[in-house]
Amino acid sequence: MIAEEPRVDATQVTELAQSLEAELARLIVGQKDLLRDTVIALIAGGHVLLEGVPGLGKTVLVRSLGQALTMSFSRIQFTPDLMPADIVGTNVIGDEAGRREFHYQAGPIFANLVLADEINRATPKTQSALLEAMQEHTVTVGTQTRPLPNPFFVLATQNPIELEGTYPLPEAQLDRFFFKVLVPFPSEKDLLEIARRTTGESTPQLKPVADANAVMAAQRVAREVPIAEHVLGYAARLISATHPDRTQLDSVRRYVRWGASPRGMQTLILAGKVRALLEGRYNVAFDDLNAVAGPALRHRIFLQFEAEADGIAADKIISDILEQTPKEPGRE
Amino acid sequence: MSSLDAIIRELRRAAARARGARYAVHGLVAAAGWVAVVLLIARLTPVEQRATVAAVGVPVALAIAAIAWLLRRPSAAILMRLADIRLGLKERLSTAWERRTESGALDDVQRRDALQHATRTRLAAAFPVRVNRGEASLVAVLAIFALALAVLPNPMDQVLAQQKADRTSQARAAKAVQDAQKKVAESAKPTPVDPQVQKILQDAQAKIRQADSPRKALESITPAEQQLQRLTDPGTPALSSSAQNLANALSGTAAGRSAAQAISTSPAKGAQSVRDLAAQLQNMSPKDRQDLAKALEKAAQQAQNSQMRDSLSKASSSLQNGDPNSAAQALNDVASQLDSLQQQQNTDQAVASAINGLEAARQELATQADRDAKGQGGQPNASASPGAGTSPGAGTGASPGASGSGNGSGNGTGTGNGNGSGTGTGTGTGTGSGSGNGGNGGTGSSGSGTGSGAGAKSTERVYVPGQPVPGQSQNDPTPLGPGQDVPLSPYSQVIQAYQQAALDATNQSLIPGSERDLVRQYFSQLGEQTGPGPK
Repeated sequence: MIAEEPRVDATQVTELAQSLEAELARLIVGQKDLLRDTVIALIAGGHVLLEGVPGLGKTVLVRSLGQALTMSFSRIQFTPDLMPADIVGTNVIGDEAGRREFHYQAGPIFANLVLADEINRATPKTQSALLEAMQEHTVTVGTQTRPLPNPFFVLATQNPIELEGTYPLPEAQLDRFFFKVLVPFPSEKDLLEIARRTTGESTPQLKPVADANAVMAAQRVAREVPIAEHVLGYAARLISATHPDRTQLDSVRRYVRWGASPRGMQTLILAGKVRALLEGRYNVAFDDLNAVAGPALRHRIFLQFEAEADGIAADKIISDILEQTPKEPGRE
Repeated sequence: MSSLDAIIRELRRAAARARGARYAVHGLVAAAGWVAVVLLIARLTPVEQRATVAAVGVPVALAIAAIAWLLRRPSAAILMRLADIRLGLKERLSTAWERRTESGALDDVQRRDALQHATRTRLAAAFPVRVNRGEASLVAVLAIFALALAVLPNPMDQVLAQQKADRTSQARAAKAVQDAQKKVAESAKPTPVDPQVQKILQDAQAKIRQADSPRKALESITPAEQQLQRLTDPGTPALSSSAQNLANALSGTAAGRSAAQAISTSPAKGAQSVRDLAAQLQNMSPKDRQDLAKALEKAAQQAQNSQMRDSLSKASSSLQNGDPNSAAQALNDVASQLDSLQQQQNTDQAVASAINGLEAARQELATQADRDAKGQGGQPNASASPGAGTSPGAGTGASPGASGSGNGSGNGTGTGNGNGSGTGTGTGTGTGSGSGNGGNGGTGSSGSGTGSGAGAKSTERVYVPGQPVPGQSQNDPTPLGPGQDVPLSPYSQVIQAYQQAALDATNQSLIPGSERDLVRQYFSQLGEQTGPGPK
């Protein structure tokens, strides 16, 4: 049926994602949305903030991802006394040929996969050390800027309940994360399966399914997925609808303090492209945008105190926006 | 590309069918609504040709729907988007169509993917031919409503019929005036006032046509009649009487017999004959001159016109004094006055003819106004047609020329009875011949109206509020004291005054002739039923 091969093989992206999901699923029970969102962010080249109570497998997921991908992996446990230099590295005095000189000693950030565990436990100063790394994929120590390895993928975790002695991430820091993925509590059936897999004689060992080049190739392919103008317009309308001064939605006007940034729209479209590929499609559909709207926007919508008082979460606002935003404005 | 074009063609056909059905229902809703609204309005206000107006709206509504169907055709991009949504193609077709000329890394494979999915789908299903149930129900309800409005009796029909009858009546009245105008124009004896008569009739005709109702049209007739009356010379009867007396006097003389006959025939011929007589005075014998002088003196004594009297007297005295030249001069003056009389008679005839036409119009309009007042305005008005001749107006003319003897002519107003259906009133001009009778009464138009009411029973004593005490103003009645009642007078004592007051009131100019007759008839019936004496 297909006369000529495309310049990029989109099917390879689908296969990569499917094999990665399948490999992770050997260790992570259930949590299909979590796996899907993580893979989407990886192929889109974004970073993920995982939020969930302790013991849900956040760290295991990231560690498993490191195993499934033939890439360098480092884990940083964020604590209040963690210093920026502990992350990005520092210059140390060394004795070389009888001369004492400063040498740069790279920090754990120099890895393809970085697990920033319990990121909200570090001070804002330390958290901000990640800003440049996450956005520019570079690290500046002293006067020298050093590039980070490609691909560079930060997965941060945070605990939403143990807020004592934590430092909530500022808006600018949150906006750097491609997705914020909520890790739900597993179902009873999944709990049983977790017990079976992890309390036996041995635990499954993951085998690598892709390397850095494959991931980078997938990232390039994902950006080639076409998107129609009216779908693009829908994405823009979704973003506009998150702003209380640009929407007629009562819930947004009442509960939202500030809506999503243009970076949110970029995330929405890029994630939609990846999802389209994972769905075996070569164009972005409305459904793709709707599916990724939650993880892409929930950390970019800042609520009023009234929302907290009324128990309204960002996901509820996003749900309202998706429900009310027309897909085809002005059509017959 | 070609496959995308084929998809677009198929989608266009399907969409055209679906939209056609939808717009057809829109058109039917509009058409049924239009018909219902027109018929509903036609029940609240008289609407002529409501069926035509309602019927015209149907094709117009359908045509507007068709035009809207043509103009609001969706574009190819819209069709693709709709197909994507309705067929669950996940924006494949719209993306492929939009980027059909792009050559990105994945555009080609995306187009193929879209085509593959499209071929597995029945594209026409994106635009099914469906009729909105709500609209269909609305069409049915409106159609039933419109049908009911069309079938059930419409109270405005009677109003329309009345309006039509009014217009017909006004047209007939205007036609009667037009006929009179034509008659004046074609008269063999033109007069100087003919243009004025024509103008008056023309104006009256226009006012009658433009009036809102027969009653309004009636208001234009009396002023026209008054204008016509002003064109006549009030001295004509006196001059005419003098001429007649002259003819009578001359008929007894040998010399003036032929002149007498000529005067009786017509004033113009009489004038010529008198001039001939004046020319023959020189050749007359003394006896003939003497007889002629006596006859002229007698005529002068009887003459009511001063000029005629002076001329005749001068002619008589000149003859008696043996001055035939002066007598001839005086007779020539008499001849001139006879010429003048002829002219005045012609004028009166033209005016009378015009008034006849106006009266015919008045009769027609009054009849229709009566019907309107009785709520029978919409009924056919066959019996009230002007000039139907049912009442020839054989009444006696109150002609000034009716007195005396011998030949005479005069104008008169006659009252004639109709053919039993009513009483007619006519004004006309007649020329009488013979002795003493004036002209025949004018040709009366057919009368209309029937008397109503009954007289008091003979066993009853009817009392009515008493007449005011002499010297006391009617508008200032004596205040009644406590326990006092309005003073009553027996019916027989006041009926005469009431009758007189009613008849005086009917003499007002705006009261149609038929109405006057009706009042007269009413009181005459009262008189017949009650008889003399108190009841």
